[in-house]
Amino acid sequence: MEAPSPYALNRRTFLSQAGFGLGAAALHALASNEAQGSNASLAQKKIQHHTAKAKRVIFLCMAGGPSHLETFDYKPDLDRLDGKPMPDSFTAGQPIAQLQGQKLKVQGHLTRFQNYGQSGQEISDFLPWHAKMADKICVLRSMHTEQINHDPAHTFMNTGTPISGRPSMGAWINYGLGSESKSLPGFVVLSSVGGRNPQPIASRQWGAGFLPGQFQGVELSSSGEPAYYVRNPHGVTRHQQRRLVETLSHLNRHRNQIEANQDIEARIAAYEMAFQMQSSVPELMDISDESQETLAMYGANPGDGSYASNCLLARRLIERGVRFVQLYHRGWDHHGDLVKYMDICCGLTDRPTWALVTDLERRGLLDDTLIVWGGEFGRTPMFQGKGGPGRDHHIKGFSMWLAGGGIKGGLTYGATDELGYHAVENTVHVRDLHATMLYLLGLDNQRLSVPYQGLDMRLTGVEPANVIYPILA
Amino acid sequence: MVTRNGTTQTSCLVESLTLRALTSLPGLVLILVLPLNSHADNDQSLNFNQDIRPILSDKCFRCHGPDATHRKADLRLDEETDAKRVRESYQVIKPMDPKGSALVDRIVSEEPEEQMPPPESNKALTEAEKQTLIQWIQEGAPWDVHWAYQAPRKTAPPSVQNKEWPLNWIDNWILKSQEMNQLAPNKETSPSVLLRRLSYDLLGLPPSSEEVQAFEADPSEAHYEALIKRYLASPHFGERMATYWLDLVRYADTVGYHGDQDHNISPYRDWVIQAFNEDLPFDQFTEAQLAGDLKPNATQDDLIASGYNRLLQTSHEGGVQPKEYLAIYAADRVRNVSSVWLGGTLGCAQCHDHKYDPYTAHDFYAMSAFFADLDEESHFKTGTNALPTRRAPEIHVLSRWQRDELEDWTSRLPSLHGPNAELAKRQIANLKKEARLTMISKSKTPRTVRILPRGNWLDETGEIVEPAVPSFLGQLEDVKSRASRLDLAAWLTQPHGIGPFTARVQANRLWSLFFGRGLARSLDDIGAQGTPPTHPELLDNLAIYFVDQGWSVKRLIQAMVMSRTYRQSSVPHKQVVNLDPANDYFTRQERYRLQAEFIRDNALMIAGLLQLDIGGPSMKPYQPEGYYKHLNFPKRTYYHSTDRQQWRRGLYVHWQRQFLHPMLRATDAPSREECTSTRPQSNTPLAALALLNDPTFVEAARALAEKALLSHPGTDNPQKTIAWLFERTMKRPPDEREHFELERLLEDTKREFESNPEQARRFNSVGQSAPNPNLDPIHLAAWSSVSRALLNLNESFTRN
Repeated sequence: MEAPSPYALNRRTFLSQAGFGLGAAALHALASNEAQGSNASLAQKKIQHHTAKAKRVIFLCMAGGPSHLETFDYKPDLDRLDGKPMPDSFTAGQPIAQLQGQKLKVQGHLTRFQNYGQSGQEISDFLPWHAKMADKICVLRSMHTEQINHDPAHTFMNTGTPISGRPSMGAWINYGLGSESKSLPGFVVLSSVGGRNPQPIASRQWGAGFLPGQFQGVELSSSGEPAYYVRNPHGVTRHQQRRLVETLSHLNRHRNQIEANQDIEARIAAYEMAFQMQSSVPELMDISDESQETLAMYGANPGDGSYASNCLLARRLIERGVRFVQLYHRGWDHHGDLVKYMDICCGLTDRPTWALVTDLERRGLLDDTLIVWGGEFGRTPMFQGKGGPGRDHHIKGFSMWLAGGGIKGGLTYGATDELGYHAVENTVHVRDLHATMLYLLGLDNQRLSVPYQGLDMRLTGVEPANVIYPILA
Repeated sequence: MVTRNGTTQTSCLVESLTLRALTSLPGLVLILVLPLNSHADNDQSLNFNQDIRPILSDKCFRCHGPDATHRKADLRLDEETDAKRVRESYQVIKPMDPKGSALVDRIVSEEPEEQMPPPESNKALTEAEKQTLIQWIQEGAPWDVHWAYQAPRKTAPPSVQNKEWPLNWIDNWILKSQEMNQLAPNKETSPSVLLRRLSYDLLGLPPSSEEVQAFEADPSEAHYEALIKRYLASPHFGERMATYWLDLVRYADTVGYHGDQDHNISPYRDWVIQAFNEDLPFDQFTEAQLAGDLKPNATQDDLIASGYNRLLQTSHEGGVQPKEYLAIYAADRVRNVSSVWLGGTLGCAQCHDHKYDPYTAHDFYAMSAFFADLDEESHFKTGTNALPTRRAPEIHVLSRWQRDELEDWTSRLPSLHGPNAELAKRQIANLKKEARLTMISKSKTPRTVRILPRGNWLDETGEIVEPAVPSFLGQLEDVKSRASRLDLAAWLTQPHGIGPFTARVQANRLWSLFFGRGLARSLDDIGAQGTPPTHPELLDNLAIYFVDQGWSVKRLIQAMVMSRTYRQSSVPHKQVVNLDPANDYFTRQERYRLQAEFIRDNALMIAGLLQLDIGGPSMKPYQPEGYYKHLNFPKRTYYHSTDRQQWRRGLYVHWQRQFLHPMLRATDAPSREECTSTRPQSNTPLAALALLNDPTFVEAARALAEKALLSHPGTDNPQKTIAWLFERTMKRPPDEREHFELERLLEDTKREFESNPEQARRFNSVGQSAPNPNLDPIHLAAWSSVSRALLNLNESFTRN
């Protein structure tokens, strides 16, 4: 028999491979700790380029592209020119989606705006509950992106490039910071039912790309099965499953006396964590233990798969140490019948979003939780008529908002031109949004990089990315 | 035997020893981590490609490299003449004179204004790197062409001290590197492990217990060689190799973007299997895929193979702008062809000249122009949200074996009469019905291709380019008019031109299939930023061998698996882990989890469920409900295959790009949106959940238990049954502890099922196959739990 080989690298290999893992720099820190013989608590180790203002992110993704012109960006000239031809000076040489080859005419606002809060933030009548938190959110009116079709635009928003298969922001952030949960993934994706014919969303939107697989987003569901493969096979009790996993741990360890394989402890840990998830995930996803008051506040009914339930789940997830929650509502592609669908989509999302912000605040979680709201792009100032009036995809100017950890509430930042077409003042590229998110989490977008195919890959890519300092508290 | 406690103690001891070495002997550590041929040995001078170029490339080329638009100070450090040029008042690199070299001033400076690389670049040089650069200038700053851009050289195998060890020339190179570093090879692994390794590596399947027993009885050289030949001749060899190739060319059953509709392409997958099985020479393999449709007298197989050009992701989203997507498709093709054949990152030159390699933006667009004759526009108008969508041009085809059968019946028909003739006609009609649609390439008048300034498709001011190969790699010869995809294929495999470069990229990847990593670790970047090979001469010789042997993939693989290097044990020797921690010198074999598809194949094969027929339409395994809920246009309802298709090999699984089957995804199979040369090896609870609870594995466990119980009638001797099950799964007998644990699991589980027979019935009903009615349900359920444990044991899905 061969002598058992040393486990010199064991601990680090284990920590880098097991479960959902420590962040990247945690491993660096660990390496130097080992060298110094330190036993500092490993769970706390993470990359920190500077002091963080937020510990976690909830990204409320309104897939399809909500209209900035019916939410946060009021333009008097738009109403004045309603029905008139769209001036060529705006549209010449610009990319156009479904309106290709059609006569372009201005579509005035399909709702009214009012000023709210002490800040006087302009918010449309579609969002009465947003109006109540006007002083908590910071609206970015000058977002712009590079991709005009849904799929690449989502890929761009989530990964910083339209090329498929790169790591998404949740993966980057977990790579940098690690997960604070021992029994849950650090990056969770929730998707909501209801609304218009829903936008398709590819799993690459929460992929880990070239980062290790434990950093990928994990889909959890508030209706039906809470997670894939999380239930025991038919006829298998929890006790039996425990016995099985115990047996596996014993036998794997036993065999490893001969094999001396550094990966084994990681595999044992993965099985043990899988077993824990089989109870922790269903427990977490069952919101029926929430008070009636809380359920009513969100408008959530346990098991309905709604955006409201998912907002409540987002809170439960971050309470348990999940680093990044991405919550999709997929009903925002309003080429036609915009008023009808805005009524539906805002009806489903407006109040729960307010409830989430309010609930986090009263629990003292808002201070270090960053909330981001927005779609992959906005909608044209021009009319599109699939059914009643609607608007086409628009990438040159649109609105998003941020709230919570490190963000100045009640601020309106940046502006589009007089028709809401181009972002013209304090423009914010998707990269800038990414850089700002990372900054708030204590990460420098230039230094959070990984070599891949000969390049130092970053969430913000190779072009310059700017942290938007004026919106920081 | 070392006890568990003993092991722990040993590991702590060694850990602390290692740490002491790390902290107190930095010099020693340096020696350990430096690549081969490093300057660690003072007698040896620095090697430009090993020691210097990687530093310059990573730290300097971004601003002082090939990209003219971003170049600073009019300085190129990627070109010897410019780097050593005498400038007005100074010289950047003055050979043998570090003090007279501006480079040295700048790298040692601590003034932020002076310092190179500048602090804001986040590219600091380490002290060791600075010293290396200074030493190199001291030594005369000798330059060399980048290793990846030097033609592979054939060299005689080096002589070694241990003359007994090498079995073929590969071993000489490996052993030489070990001996130079005072290392020795590991001992040979046991016959059973070796056979299991060979079977997984060449077939993606476990060997049968009978094969293992026979090889254990006669582990002779002749027997081993015969086994290799048998495996290389097996039809499953093609399946195994296709699994590798399909990752590279991003083969999938759906379009990828937006609605991710199905498209028709499975005959291409079957052609790849066939091509590997027939050992189609790699140059012909290349030609058929890139340009099969352009070959004079193109056969049906050539057309099917030309489906390669249609494998990219496409969009059927309403409102796409054709020009934008044509640009996206062009870039996708350039990325893929340069990755797969050249191991290059030409894709990085879409917006600007490459920052590290001598690829220009012109090269990028000139490469894309080879593919400008392909019809991609029609699907913008006619492609629909139907399943499958339409992606003309497509043709109806039969697989090769179906065609052979058809021909057989057709030729016999005239001589048949009465019922026999009727039968033949029915057969012919049935076969014809099995024809599948498949996308092919069809040449038309090429689109005009312009350089898109900064990759912007709206900007039509760029220069018009014709098809051409990257200029620093030469040019096409004997091309009279516009160069075609045929010319490109010929150029890539020209034995006296770029062919050996292509061969080196392929040989490096093939090596990784049998040794766990490439000789150059970065399989997808054989360029300035890639990792230099640990054994450059060996890699060159493998490349030359590949070309010399008529581009025979089988012969190249045979040489690799015949080597003694391949046959080493994967259990590292104690000292070796310290002396060769990253296995730079191949002082042991590698061990790793089987790849996703083979984990499935392995369980189904052991269970006796695996269907071994080759090729055909893709199949759909059991899948959790709601897994496709995010798909739309159209909405998808998933129906798993309900016949024997259910138990086919993993490579036939319906490859839904946006939502790859969750078991495959959890075990690191790629979505195949882009070229994948190396699959990551994660180890997540999601993978554990899939293997524990996916009905495929639960059903396999029951089928395995049934087999065990039927081959061991009577219940009085569980020991025997456990031994049989264990042997069948691991290809070795269980030891005492293993017996003990499994028997306890059996008893515990049985007790529980006895108190609740309904649970046993439910457990036995997982999957589409009915449990054997002659077996006692409680007994069966308890034994299935034991098989479930076996199929989840690390060893059962580890190639070691």
